[in-house]
Amino acid sequence: MCTSIFYFFLAGLLALVIRAQLSQPGMMLVGPHQYAQIFTLHGTAMIFLFVVPFALGLANFLIPLQIGAPDMAFPRLNAFTYWLFFFGGITIFSGVFVNGGAAASGWFAYAPLSEIRISTGEGQDLWIIGLLMTSISGILTAVNFITTTFLYRAPGMTMWRLPIFVWEMVATSLLILMAFPSLAAVLAMLFIDRHLGGEFFTASAGGNPVLYQHLFWFFGHPEVYIMILPYFGVISEIIPVFSRKPIFGYTGLVLSAFAIAGLSMGVWAHHMFTTGVVTNGFFAAISFLIAVPTGVKFFNWVGTMWRGSIVFTTAMLFAIGFMLNFLIGGITGVMVASPPIDFQAEDSYFLVAHFHYVLGGGSLFAIFGAIYFWFPKVFGKMLSERLGKWCFWLLFIGFNTTFFVMQFLGVMGMPRRVYTYAALPGWGNLNLIASIGSLIMAAGVLVFVWDIITASLSRKHAPDDPWGGYSLEWWTTSPPPEFNFVSLPPIRSERPVFDAKHPELAKEQPG
Amino acid sequence: MRSSRLSLSAGLLLATSGCGVYALPPGATMQAQVLRQDWIVFTLAGLFVAVVVFGLILIPLVVWRRRSDEYPPQFRRNTKLEITYTIIPLLIVIVLFAITYRNEVIVKHLSPRPAGTVEVTAFQWSWRFHYPGTTINIVGTPQAPPQLVLPIDETTRINLTSSDVNHAFWIPGFLFKRDAIAGVKNSFDLRPTRVGVYLGRCAEFCGLDHALMSFSVRVVSRADYNRWLRARRSSTISSTKGGAS
Ligand code: HEM
Ligand SMILES: [Cu+2]
Ligand SMILES: [Cu+2]
Repeated sequence: MCTSIFYFFLAGLLALVIRAQLSQPGMMLVGPHQYAQIFTLHGTAMIFLFVVPFALGLANFLIPLQIGAPDMAFPRLNAFTYWLFFFGGITIFSGVFVNGGAAASGWFAYAPLSEIRISTGEGQDLWIIGLLMTSISGILTAVNFITTTFLYRAPGMTMWRLPIFVWEMVATSLLILMAFPSLAAVLAMLFIDRHLGGEFFTASAGGNPVLYQHLFWFFGHPEVYIMILPYFGVISEIIPVFSRKPIFGYTGLVLSAFAIAGLSMGVWAHHMFTTGVVTNGFFAAISFLIAVPTGVKFFNWVGTMWRGSIVFTTAMLFAIGFMLNFLIGGITGVMVASPPIDFQAEDSYFLVAHFHYVLGGGSLFAIFGAIYFWFPKVFGKMLSERLGKWCFWLLFIGFNTTFFVMQFLGVMGMPRRVYTYAALPGWGNLNLIASIGSLIMAAGVLVFVWDIITASLSRKHAPDDPWGGYSLEWWTTSPPPEFNFVSLPPIRSERPVFDAKHPELAKEQPG
Repeated sequence: MRSSRLSLSAGLLLATSGCGVYALPPGATMQAQVLRQDWIVFTLAGLFVAVVVFGLILIPLVVWRRRSDEYPPQFRRNTKLEITYTIIPLLIVIVLFAITYRNEVIVKHLSPRPAGTVEVTAFQWSWRFHYPGTTINIVGTPQAPPQLVLPIDETTRINLTSSDVNHAFWIPGFLFKRDAIAGVKNSFDLRPTRVGVYLGRCAEFCGLDHALMSFSVRVVSRADYNRWLRARRSSTISSTKGGAS
């Protein structure tokens, strides 16, 4: 978890360079080749070294606690996957020190651009090897999660009493098991092409560049849900606690997670609408359908807050920010899933806005929410609610300032991945606004760093259950002892700790 | 007050998102009129969903804030309501799909008898426009972007491919792009409806000078087009260089 945050800071710095470069037309802070390395590393690190591993790290801590287990099923495998991930990240970044620099063909490294004839540098190879390491790490972690959840639950913890976060991680793990092998395959094929005389993706030698896109997105789309399902889980843990009510529509939430996971295996070619060689109608239809279970989740969260008693803690603010931002991301998602819209939006700043709204406004906000919620449990120290609120408002305002205007730039015709652009009417100003927003976000992150430092240095100890939590992690000490629990309360619903503390409310009321 | 700040920012977000479509170019081809319609339908549908769901999120924040230590009613489900809120979005996306599907069929339709054809080849980092049946062959460079000339109110078939990495042929003023991929021949029709010069650019990252890989499209009347063809034919040698006159 901490390592993934370290990679987040690295990738965040890269993003600031990108925004500085684009703040005005014709800026020459970095050259085209440096710029390409920067956006490649930014995307790769945010996705593979931050958003996914943070979720896996959090789940590693939480799953055993929430199901009442002493540890993960395979602790040694667990340590192995951590080091694979850690050195995978180092391998990718080490590209900056070799001849020709780091990989510079984007986070999806389309062949033939990433082939040896064109991307001659070793940076691309380090990128392939580093990603292979992280993908193997992900697969093994998924096996560990599934085994742990199915076999290590405490007595009384039936599947239908699992906290939603655990359910979402089961769905995520299944997706990892289905999708990551495709990534590993395409990386291996690219490596064979580059060094062992393969021609998988070379049209002139009978290969097919479209094959690369199919294999990549067969992994790549499930990957985006691997990056959000865990955070749907996080939000589904935070909202009920601070609405002081049970989660609304538990069964619907669980079923929607699996509906999303299932459907997301069948939409990969919506990333290829403009290739002209896929059946757009089919992939558009399935993509639209995903909006339905996603909508169900929204209504469940609203139902949880409805007639509740809402407490505005920092974690809750981030959960609310998540919903507001992610809604915009979801709506633009359905828009770009309509091929006629995608013909303009694909590879434009409109698309950049879409995926930052889901990943930045969504996953990132959920990550901050998770940190403010579970920091006391993990480290036994309280973060400051006052600083936390500053952090939230700076991030929320900065985020929307940065990414909202990108939608306009996109429809006006600004393509992504350009290191410079012409001084067309409005472009300079909109880009400047985006860049100012990124500085506001950076200020929010600085407040957060300051909060972490002061909290870590403070002597004050966090209580075991600072929020009136529901799931089993709030039963044990902060931080938990070795083997997690000394005792367990009886488990009769998905919120055993609440039931134990409020026996008079434990009985289910008809709704 | 905290929640009112939240609702204020959400309101601002909404107000501005409505303007998205105004930034959209009017669309200067017959196909673009259909594409534009799709944008408008989806933007309106999106705004509707945004208003409803933003409202549903913000209402509890204002109305049901914590006022006492007492726990609110601990209800957990309402099956009828849950089925309703599954079915309504389902109906919405079915309608949206029908609209999308119809629009895409129109845009992708290939005329059996296009008035003219242009072979477009993308390469690192510019474009080659070849008019089959003539010797016209316009090749650009990043510094001197080439110009494609099309007659107004006639259907021109574009056959698109790449001679190296993936590129994408994008004319924002036509609301349209298509990928250029080696080994794939992509065909589509353009039927311009407005005289003028439109910027075009590569949309798929293709290496160092991707940002400079632009071109332009000049839409002219039939008479001007014929004049241009004649002038071009008589000067094929100079036409292999840089931009069109
Ligand atoms: C309602 C749900 C969603 C729909 C219908 C949707 C649809 C799409 C479509 C059609 C594209 C491809 C557009 C193109 O390449 O032109 C896309 C791109 C993308 N989406 Fe979504 N999306 C949804 C939710 C999400 C979520 C939850 C995430 C991640 C947390 C996400 C992350 C991304 C990313 C990263 C890309 C860009 C990939 C790239 O080209 O670099 N999307 N989305
Ligand atoms: Cu996708
Ligand atoms: Cu390009």
